[in-house]
Amino acid sequence: MIHFDNVTKVYANQNRPALDHVSVDVDKGEFVFLVGPSGSGKSTFLRLILKEERPNSGAIHVAGKDLARLSNFKVPHLRRRIGCVFQDFRLLPNKNVYENVAFALEVIGKPRRFIRKVVPEVIELVGLEGKAHRMPDELSGGEQQRVAMARAFVNRPMILLADEPTGNIDPATSIGIMKVLDRINRTGTTVVMATHDAAIVDSMRKRVVELEDGKIVRDQSRGVYGQAY
Amino acid sequence: MRANFIFSEVWIGLRRNLTMTIAVVITVAVGMAMLGVGLMINAQVGLIRGYWDDKVEVSVFLCTKGSAVQACNGKAITQAQTTKLQEHLKGTPGVKEVFYEDQAAAYENFKQAFASNKPLLSATKVEDMPTSFRIKVADPSNYQSVIQAIQGQPGVSQVTDQKQLVGPFFQMLDKLAYYALAVAIILVLAAALLIGNTVRLSAFNRRRETGIMRLVGASNLYIQLPFIMEGVIAGLIGGVFAAVMLIVTKVLLFEGLGAFVGGPQAQLGWDTVAQTITFTMIIGVVICVLASFVTLRRYLRV
Repeated sequence: MIHFDNVTKVYANQNRPALDHVSVDVDKGEFVFLVGPSGSGKSTFLRLILKEERPNSGAIHVAGKDLARLSNFKVPHLRRRIGCVFQDFRLLPNKNVYENVAFALEVIGKPRRFIRKVVPEVIELVGLEGKAHRMPDELSGGEQQRVAMARAFVNRPMILLADEPTGNIDPATSIGIMKVLDRINRTGTTVVMATHDAAIVDSMRKRVVELEDGKIVRDQSRGVYGQAY
Repeated sequence: MRANFIFSEVWIGLRRNLTMTIAVVITVAVGMAMLGVGLMINAQVGLIRGYWDDKVEVSVFLCTKGSAVQACNGKAITQAQTTKLQEHLKGTPGVKEVFYEDQAAAYENFKQAFASNKPLLSATKVEDMPTSFRIKVADPSNYQSVIQAIQGQPGVSQVTDQKQLVGPFFQMLDKLAYYALAVAIILVLAAALLIGNTVRLSAFNRRRETGIMRLVGASNLYIQLPFIMEGVIAGLIGGVFAAVMLIVTKVLLFEGLGAFVGGPQAQLGWDTVAQTITFTMIIGVVICVLASFVTLRRYLRV
């Protein structure tokens, strides 16, 4: 599903590569934790999958497509197959829960009937039934992140990228968020989650890829956050 | 769904930047009106010029007895000289028609022209009128060579070209047209910059929305269209105001001007006004689209 082959990314005006000859394979339906200290290249890894950045060398394949050969014109179509969740939720403050989720479908031109059918289903999947008409500022952090996950998942993407989704949320609420991610993963969606949260990684027992200074230092199935710590 | 969504986005954008939108509308309106007025003056000058080219003649005044003009030597033109001169005029290249105006006809014209000046009329007799040849020239821009060929012929007192009389008037109208066009170009430039700024503000105001749209895979067109539409709608409203201004200008200014200098034939038609309005509207909208598009390429990375 995601295939990095010897990928190096050096940002302009920087000497040290953000990713240094990284090769990794993520299969369909896998759940992968991306761990490592700040600046180790986790976010760069996710941005490369979305083709928000281009690698300096190496090849990236996402959902069977070679990103280097994907024209700019087709990038939006790639992104429709990838859902994204962030630490800061990125909800629209002037739209309620339903509208925030529906927005993701409206802007890719889905018909209204389809939106009316699908959005309530997804809101239920993330556990926000009955809160469809709340505004984001009336929700807790955990609930806002659920809205963000609903929006990321409403178009049934093949891949869900989560960049520290529990970074702004207390540990008790984080467990709920992880349950939703797990539920999404069980529908067959590949999930890649970058995180600092050792407790979560340890409790989930999924594959762990550890980055340090842009290099993969560990790739372990059913791993924990860090053996040496 | 699509159209609905885009229009609601456009409406939000226009409302959020209301003052900028008003500035754009005013600038586009005045700019397009100036452009239109410039074009209409040009068309009007063309019409009046055509009218006058038809009417304007070269007058060849002939010597009368006691003429003060040196070329006449105080003697009247003889019958033989008149006939010879007429032949010469007809033979001159570029001359279309030659009429002879005798003293009686000249006096009639004089009476008409000075109908309000009773003392002058009563002091002037038919015998005081000069006889003249009136020449119509085939190519109105080629008066000079015809005049040169006539000047100095025996019995010719004076050659006047009526075009010299209306020339300054045309020059003034031409200057007015250029002035309006110059102002229009400056205003169009200002309008383009204003639209650019408005779109930039809009894009900044809605960076959250566009960020999410990018993320969930909305196409470039879908992300950019609301901004471009904002420019287009502001441009169209400006264009409507410009159209109203042009219609008012036509009624108040051009109808008077046309009647003053040429009568009904020199009247600027409504079809010309409609053409001008269409043209300025298209220019206005095209400028709005271009300005929006160029700004978006810089400020809305997709």
